[in-house]
Amino acid sequence: MTRLTRAFGRPLALLILLFASLWILGLIAAPQVIMIEQSLWRMERPEGSAEISVRIDGLYNQLDVLALDRSAVEAEADASIRAQKLDTSDVALAALEAEIAGLEATESTPVKVYTLANFAQMGSAHFAIFLKTIVASLAVTAIALAVCYPIAFAVAKLETPQRAGMIMLALVIPYAINELLRIFAWQMILNYNGPVNALLGLFGVEPIPFLESGTGVFVAMVYAYILFMVFPLYNVLETLDSNQIEAARDLGASSWRIHTRVVIPHARPGIAVGCIMTFMLSAGSYAVPYIMTRGTAAPWFTQLIYNRFFEATNWNVGAAYALSLLVICTLFIFVMMRLLKVSLKDIAK
Amino acid sequence: MTGQTTGMEIELRRSEVRFGSFQAVQPTDLRIAPGEFFSILGPSGCGKTTLLRLLSGFLDPTAGDVLIGGKSMVGTGPSDRPTALIFQNLALFPLMSVLENVAFGLEMRGWSKVRRRARAMELLETVALTEQAGKLPAQLSGGQKQRVAIARALAVEPAVLLLDEPLSALDLKLRQHMRAELKQIQARTGITFVYITHDQGEALTMSDRIAVMNHGRIVQIGTPDEVYDHPDAAFSATFVGEMNVFDGKVAAGADGFARIDTRLGQFRATNPKRLADGATTLMFVRPERMRLLDAAGVAENRLAAVVQRRDLEGAYSTLTLQAQDQVLTVHLQHLGGADQLAGGGDAGF
Amino acid sequence: MSHTGMGSNLVLRIYMALFFAYMFLPLGVMLVAGFSDYSPPSITVWRGGTLRWFSELWADERMWSGLTNSLIIAVAVILLSLPMGLSGALLLSKLGGRAGGVLYAVMVSPLLTPGLIIGISTVIFWRHLGAAAGLVTAILAQSAFIASYAMLMFMARLQRLDNTLQEAALDLGATQAQAFRRITLPFLRPTVVTATVIAFLQSFENYNTTIFSIGGQHTLVTEIGARMRFGMSPMINAIGILFILVTLIGAVIWGVLRQRERKLEDLR
Ligand SMILES: Nc1ncnc2c1ncn2[C@@H]1O[C@H](COP(=O)(O)OP(=O)(O)O)[C@@H](O)[C@H]1O
Ligand SMILES: [Mg+2]
Repeated sequence: MTRLTRAFGRPLALLILLFASLWILGLIAAPQVIMIEQSLWRMERPEGSAEISVRIDGLYNQLDVLALDRSAVEAEADASIRAQKLDTSDVALAALEAEIAGLEATESTPVKVYTLANFAQMGSAHFAIFLKTIVASLAVTAIALAVCYPIAFAVAKLETPQRAGMIMLALVIPYAINELLRIFAWQMILNYNGPVNALLGLFGVEPIPFLESGTGVFVAMVYAYILFMVFPLYNVLETLDSNQIEAARDLGASSWRIHTRVVIPHARPGIAVGCIMTFMLSAGSYAVPYIMTRGTAAPWFTQLIYNRFFEATNWNVGAAYALSLLVICTLFIFVMMRLLKVSLKDIAK
Repeated sequence: MTGQTTGMEIELRRSEVRFGSFQAVQPTDLRIAPGEFFSILGPSGCGKTTLLRLLSGFLDPTAGDVLIGGKSMVGTGPSDRPTALIFQNLALFPLMSVLENVAFGLEMRGWSKVRRRARAMELLETVALTEQAGKLPAQLSGGQKQRVAIARALAVEPAVLLLDEPLSALDLKLRQHMRAELKQIQARTGITFVYITHDQGEALTMSDRIAVMNHGRIVQIGTPDEVYDHPDAAFSATFVGEMNVFDGKVAAGADGFARIDTRLGQFRATNPKRLADGATTLMFVRPERMRLLDAAGVAENRLAAVVQRRDLEGAYSTLTLQAQDQVLTVHLQHLGGADQLAGGGDAGF
Repeated sequence: MSHTGMGSNLVLRIYMALFFAYMFLPLGVMLVAGFSDYSPPSITVWRGGTLRWFSELWADERMWSGLTNSLIIAVAVILLSLPMGLSGALLLSKLGGRAGGVLYAVMVSPLLTPGLIIGISTVIFWRHLGAAAGLVTAILAQSAFIASYAMLMFMARLQRLDNTLQEAALDLGATQAQAFRRITLPFLRPTVVTATVIAFLQSFENYNTTIFSIGGQHTLVTEIGARMRFGMSPMINAIGILFILVTLIGAVIWGVLRQRERKLEDLR
């Protein structure tokens, strides 16, 4: 704080602190905390509600007995005694009814209870989708890495700098159009009546239901997020001194060894960033499965989250689902950082 | 040294390199003897590195042939040639320790971990770096990095060591020290050294023979003495050491000597090219070959000039003289006492 | 590079060509389908060209209101995320060590968080405070991660700021605020322009965070998403073509402006 005022003067320092804390506390930290909190409670019938209902039953029995007594009293001959007895039994009846009403009210008013039940709510069907989403996102990440590494290497190390710049610029063009529209184009291409199936038809192949089988989701997802793999890889490979590669070759390394011993170790930060971004975007993708399956199926966990919030409107369970996704993504980041021995500073460039 | 490493002969036969329409190396014939310390000296951009890449196998000649040890190397990659290259920027692998760097070539040749470690330690011992074995290249000083690069190249027991301006990044003291060390290693191993430099001092002190190169062409080959004392091309004359140049005409040539008419008078000089009478020519005189004479005396090869300034360089002083419209340089051994010269005088040689 | 071998180079080139085909195929498809007089959109059936889908698009009320909302949100996001990102970057520039590291991690975390989670958490948080989801929550959710982009851009620029300039200004009697206004801000100006453009695009094009945070409202992009679910109108391809056009025009303007700026800098 003193460093800040010394550098910028008090008014400016205060302004900086104000905006920074609005962002960090108001827009990042508080919403996350509240979401986590929301996932940890639900409204329940109060504790011991079973005993209460037993007691209520008991009280109803007493009530019946009292009512019976009262009807017996009505047979009493002496009018004054009868009136007196009826009064006392009426008072007793009223007290009993009041007690029952009170107990019934407590029994039916839910209370906020902290529990992990929201997570348990997932059940085996939803948990299967959760796992499937993770595995599929890992696969998308692996495919994107395999597809992009040769491209990034070829552009960064085999092209002249000017040509490399132009190629990378050209790659951005498809990304200037909205994500939804790009995915939609794939939807048209892989449609049951689409051009791919038409082409296959020429060779006598039966139409393949790409969209319905989930293949479409895969193709479109690799496509949608591939740039987040290419660019980090390219950026890091561009900084690799070509002499490193030549020195390794001069010392007898095969192409394979050059990559495993020299190029890939150098590319670690780029690989980490690319994989983290691709995995996060895939696992958190709502648009791709939504458009490619046209909302008919729910193969992706994000769609379940959407449904919890906006269709089933169970926000506690929804928050629990969202948190599960967040935990997986965070876990993936730590695993990648550990595996590739990179720090957060290396990652956000 | 364990394995038998003896130098191999190198031969270029009409080898040339073209990049598109640009001729980087003109057709060149060259023969380097086994075990020779051979330097290639030339200004930046003259094609030295290209020539070296031709020998190391990163380039194939556009035309002609490259032979090492009597075998044609065209089509043989760098990893399969009996050469090792020390890069201009050393190209040490930054993510590997010093030991791993030195052992890399052996690892590529399938040596076991124990054997290659032992061998690498041996090599590190010869360059006095055992203490630094576990460090990363970035943690070493310039001279230490240099020695790691040498050890790494020697590890693969090459018959030819190719060095691309390896000392250019070092300061003067260290450079002189490393010259001696390189010379020693060469003598001890008997490997053929092809040493590239744009520093004439380096070439003159270390080499058995020097090739002077300009615009992709070797203009002179000879021992350091020959190149310095009998340059047979204007370029090698002016590039190697300082020179005073006079243009004139051959007046009377006979048996290796000639009288040459210049604007500053008539001089007697050697005529190595046996130019005929009347030919226009350039006459070169080394600054240290000129002396100051008494203005009144009479002698052969004498001219009149005025001393403009004197700069003390240490062991000698440099005089700048004005002779009519020409500026001349004279080196004078420094014997102490600055009053040898005042304003004017004559010079002769 | 002769010894990478002509063969493997050829393989790489073919691979690269295939990769580019993969990248550009959807664009071609969109161009064809947008002008095709056939619905549902298809590129195998061609019944002649038409501009019908463009005129339908022009008459579409919800698309227009979506566009208005998109623009409102984008402007608000720019006004909010740039000062926040700049403040974050300035704070980090004066904060070293552990605290700086933690703060940095928090500031980049929105980029590593799935967008829908940012959207959801914002909505939950504001419902706790009694506010329903709508344009405001969408603005706040988007700003949370767009400010991270701005922060990274400002930080990169600040690292190239020569500190002695500021010291010289202070030495000549400027207050810190004056030095900031006269030295630091002008130095950051190109980044402000770039960050504005990036923030606008990120906001305008966003789907994932917005659909989870906007409640009953809609933007142009969420409306497009809704149309894709209910019936496939070739109108969507018409929008795609418009997007391509706008992008191209934008790129040209951007290029021209950059060139002008460079010329100006050369003159100085
Ligand atoms: N791969 C290449 N493509 C085109 N021109 C090159 C290439 N490599 C070197 N050159 C050109 O060849 C000439 C000689 O370069 P080089 O051998 O590196 O010179 P130096 O003597 O300084 O080592 C230079 O003009 C350089 O620009
Ligand atoms: Mg060179």
